[in-house]
Amino acid sequence: MNEPVEGQAVTDKPSATGLSSEFGAIYDEHSHAIFYLALRYMGDPQKAQDATHDVFLKAFRKQDQFRGDASVRTWLYRIAINHCQNLCQSWHNRNVHSNADDSVWENSAARTDSPLRVLETKELGQRIQKSLDSLSDEYRLLLLLVADEELSYEEIATLVGQTADAVRGKLHRARKAFAAHFEKTA
Amino acid sequence: MKHQSKFSPEQQHAAAHQTGQQPTHEFASAEELLRFDAAQTTVPPEIAERLKRTTGNAAPPPRTGWLKRFFRGTN
Repeated sequence: MNEPVEGQAVTDKPSATGLSSEFGAIYDEHSHAIFYLALRYMGDPQKAQDATHDVFLKAFRKQDQFRGDASVRTWLYRIAINHCQNLCQSWHNRNVHSNADDSVWENSAARTDSPLRVLETKELGQRIQKSLDSLSDEYRLLLLLVADEELSYEEIATLVGQTADAVRGKLHRARKAFAAHFEKTA
Repeated sequence: MKHQSKFSPEQQHAAAHQTGQQPTHEFASAEELLRFDAAQTTVPPEIAERLKRTTGNAAPPPRTGWLKRFFRGTN
């Protein structure tokens, strides 16, 4: 996908979604990334659908607050992350995740440098969701953001409020924890 | 593409091999696996339909100078 840049006219072609051409172009460009983040972060297709709608509605209403010092994708991600984290707040209170749990996986002998092998893609989504759900919110979010090839480590760091070096270190541990859980779901 | 992947999707596909009758997909990292998963995920059309309704009657707020330049030529 190509990121629209400042000064570049967005196509006047009507959006395939039927939304206005300007806002529709933004939706067409970024809705997949936002929906996938919401889906895998929260693990609930209906909540992800509602969240994606709400994120774009907020973006529509707050267009005047977009200063253009970040990419549209990053701006939408920021709204989405805040929205999903707020939705998950009550879940956190009921099901507190201990960092000690992560250390079990981080220190495990999982072969994280070897490829993740998948024999059957039919239930792959469920395996991925279970593995993501087993991670802390922070690790889950980092993995989902780094999976978006349009984001740089610096942009991810800005989104999560950490340094790029800290993000790299945590991603290493997140990958290891994910791989260990994923192997167990086979 | 800002992140370097060990394998391109094409290489990844080519790397899939047969074990008996079942193809084995190999992913170099968690994010490669997530990208594959994302590619299989479609956005429900209901979201756009709902957005069309919810934004249909609401005029967007006035654009800043930046947004005016961003959307130059679309009106």
